[in-house]
Amino acid sequence: MTAEPPSDPPRAPDIDENGVDREQIRAMIRLAPEQRLRLVEEFVESALEIRERNAPRPVR
Amino acid sequence: MPRARFAEILRLLAENEVEFVVVGMTAGILHGAPVTTVDLDLVHRRSPDNVRRLLRVLGEIDATYRHDPRGLRPAESHLAGPGHQLLTTRLGDLDCLGAIDQDRRYEDLLPLTVEMALSEGRSVHVLSLPALIEAKERAGRPKDLAALPVLRATLDELKRRS
Repeated sequence: MTAEPPSDPPRAPDIDENGVDREQIRAMIRLAPEQRLRLVEEFVESALEIRERNAPRPVR
Repeated sequence: MPRARFAEILRLLAENEVEFVVVGMTAGILHGAPVTTVDLDLVHRRSPDNVRRLLRVLGEIDATYRHDPRGLRPAESHLAGPGHQLLTTRLGDLDCLGAIDQDRRYEDLLPLTVEMALSEGRSVHVLSLPALIEAKERAGRPKDLAALPVLRATLDELKRRS
C-alpha cells in the first residue's frame, strides 16, 4: 500500500472574536438582495420539510 | 406552517403600491447578513388609502391571524392602529406592524431606509443596517442582542467594501 502524499492544510476560517464567520458574510454580500432572500427561503423550506417529516403523529 | 415566499410577498406589495418598510431580520438578510428567519416583518403606512391597498394584498394571499384558531382575517381597523398584526399567509408568515421601537411609524422610519431593487423593476424600502442595529440595541431582549454580532460584522464588511 502506498502512502498518500501529504495534502496542503486547509486555510484557517475567518471567524471573528464573536464567532461570526466573515466569509459567509462576504458570500452573502456578493449576491443581489433578492438572491439573498431566495437563499434563506430555500433554507427555511428545507428545514420545514424535515420538521414536517419528523412531526409527532397523533396518538389514536 | 406555510411555505416561506418572502420575495413573492414583497413583489405583490410593491406591485400594488403598498407603502411599507421592511424591518427585522429580513432587513438584515437583504443587507447581506447570513441569518435566517421564518417571518417577514414590515411597518406599513397607516393612512386609509394605504391600509386599503395592503388589505387587498392580504386578501390575495389568504392572510389570517396566526394565533387565532377562528381564522380571523385582518380588517381596516386593525391595520390603522399602532399594534402588531401577526399573520399567516399562503406565502409565509407576515407581521404587519403599525409601529416599532418606541412608537416609530412608517413616516419616522422612511428617512432611515435604503431603496433596494427587486426583479421586474420593482423596489422596496428596507431599514438601513445601522438603524436596524440601533433598534435591536434599544430593544435589548435576548433575541435582539443575540443577532447583534452578525449584524455588526455585516456592517463592518459592507464598510470595507465601499
